[in-house]
Amino acid sequence: MSLVEVQQITKEYVKGDQKIAPLKDADLTVERGEFVSLMGASGSGKSTLLNLIAGIDRPTSGQILVDGEVITQFSRTRLARWRAENVGYIFQMHNLVPVLTAFENIELPLLLLGLSARDREKRVNIALEAVSLTDRADHYPRQLSGGQEQRVGIARAMVANPTLIVADEPTGDLDAETTEQILALLQRLNTELGMTLLMVTHDPNAALIATRRLRLEKGVFVESTPVTAGRI
Amino acid sequence: MLRYIPYVLKTLWRHRTRTLLTVSGTAVAMFVFSFVGAVQEGLDRLLNEQQQDRSLIVFQANRFCPSTSKLPEDYALRISKLPGIKDAVPIQVYMNNCRASLDVVVFNGLPAKKLRSVRPIVLQTGDWSQFEQQRDAALVGQAVARRRKLSVGQKFSIGSLTVTIAGIFASAVAAEESMIYTHLEFLQRTPGLHAVGTATQMEVLLDESADAQATSKLIDDLYRAGPVATNTRTKGAFQAKTVGDLVELVGFTRYLGLACVLMVLGLVATTTVMGVQDRIREHAVLQTIGFTGWHIFAFIIGESLVVSLIGGLLGTGTALAILQTSSLALGTEGILIAFLPSASLAVTGLTASALVGLLAGIAPAWQAARSEIVPALRFA
Ligand SMILES: Nc1ncnc2c1ncn2[C@@H]1O[C@H](COP(=O)(O)OP(=O)(O)O)[C@@H](O)[C@H]1O
Ligand SMILES: [Mg+2]
Repeated sequence: MSLVEVQQITKEYVKGDQKIAPLKDADLTVERGEFVSLMGASGSGKSTLLNLIAGIDRPTSGQILVDGEVITQFSRTRLARWRAENVGYIFQMHNLVPVLTAFENIELPLLLLGLSARDREKRVNIALEAVSLTDRADHYPRQLSGGQEQRVGIARAMVANPTLIVADEPTGDLDAETTEQILALLQRLNTELGMTLLMVTHDPNAALIATRRLRLEKGVFVESTPVTAGRI
Repeated sequence: MLRYIPYVLKTLWRHRTRTLLTVSGTAVAMFVFSFVGAVQEGLDRLLNEQQQDRSLIVFQANRFCPSTSKLPEDYALRISKLPGIKDAVPIQVYMNNCRASLDVVVFNGLPAKKLRSVRPIVLQTGDWSQFEQQRDAALVGQAVARRRKLSVGQKFSIGSLTVTIAGIFASAVAAEESMIYTHLEFLQRTPGLHAVGTATQMEVLLDESADAQATSKLIDDLYRAGPVATNTRTKGAFQAKTVGDLVELVGFTRYLGLACVLMVLGLVATTTVMGVQDRIREHAVLQTIGFTGWHIFAFIIGESLVVSLIGGLLGTGTALAILQTSSLALGTEGILIAFLPSASLAVTGLTASALVGLLAGIAPAWQAARSEIVPALRFA
């Protein structure tokens, strides 16, 4: 059984008498431990797919199974609980809570898991170390650089050890050097911690760190052959 | 839920100017609310005082202000011999102001030896024998003493009257603590009063078995033909009649109290709505992480509750503190209504703020809890 099974997914938006269907009867599977990158033209439906798999959006038809559970049938509240336990979401713009410190931002998902304060602290510290921000634990988002903020965002997404991490253009807002750092970090999540990742990106170089590369073209997934093997 | 409290407080602190303005507005409104409540409680206390149906007040017929009622002092002796009557005490009333006023000082002159038996007062300082022996001695209620900073041994003048303070008393009847008791003869001789041999009113104590209505009629019938006709009512009815105009006025303040609560509702709701609109994206992020709509709902209700409760605490607390230290009493025609702090005012003030906080938060909290995640992330 694959970790993620997207089956016959259609997503339609109705605008006046116009109908847009970025996804039409799309199928996709992601195996446990894979790092899948997804490219495609702007507006081709990449974010839409990611949001459906992350359980923050609902398809017009079709179903999605994650780890054997049909998440598309969950109630709103059940879906939220499922996300807390199973999904880490890395946003393009980090989206940290401005009133909370780096530590508190990373702690947020753990609050939902009923862990003791000590366990939470232990795990936040491990996550902070993983993103090399131990010395910034007490800083507020406005006191951090863009790259540091994104690393806090990554720590927040991985701290609860989710089944799946999704990232929507995680380097879209960053300069080249910082992009390198972030990509290296994501790759480590996959190779060292064995996490399953699904990353949307515009950047062909970024896509190269993935173990499997897809393109979304007119609602269909196409395996894209790597331009060069391995990382550049 | 306790572990989310820091988030709620930090969120409020982030917009501290807005939060503090709302808290102050709430505090002011709840201050007025509590004050209005104290006025109502004072009046209710006066009108519902027990044992007021076991004593009668005999007043000159067709007179309303104490300064115009004048009954021969010896009425007391004759009345006390009627059946069903324990005792009758002549009382001379003197005050600096007959109209409704917050700074009225009311003197009641009674036969010195009788004061102790007809009034439920307990001396805090000073002593009874001093009062009974000295012609110009006065016992001062502790509310007046506090308000006018009076102490035992001091002389106290108001208008053409000067008394020496022999004691300060507390009373089971709150309003009484705003009065001053003197000897009857002394008060009768107040320059300009021309009251020697007369009293403003008689206070009649009934036997357990006596019927108040029948006894009142008996007294009025006795003097119908003169020398001075009387009008006798239970003390309760007498006070209710005297403060009758005030009852209407105070009833009107109920709307003021209601307006205060509505104002707080509007204020807190506005702040909460603004807070929600500022954070559409943040709430979407929280939901993405796995917070449920109910979590978001609780956070926002929590915010409006905290703002409203802090305001309520400040406003009600200040009102009670001022009531405690200022010992205010509203006087009209010799009847006093005491405004006191009380546990029920505190409970009412805080309960009202809590309810308003909940109510103000419901709509914005519901809206935030139900909002869709993806559009909020995309467009907010
Ligand atoms: N709420 C919406 N209402 C209408 N159209 C939408 C909405 N959200 C997305 N779309 C449309 O769906 C298409 C796919 O969007 P998206 O998944 O964001 O594309 P991508 O991430 O590949 O750039 C776009 O044409 C977009 O305009
Ligand atoms: Mg997109």
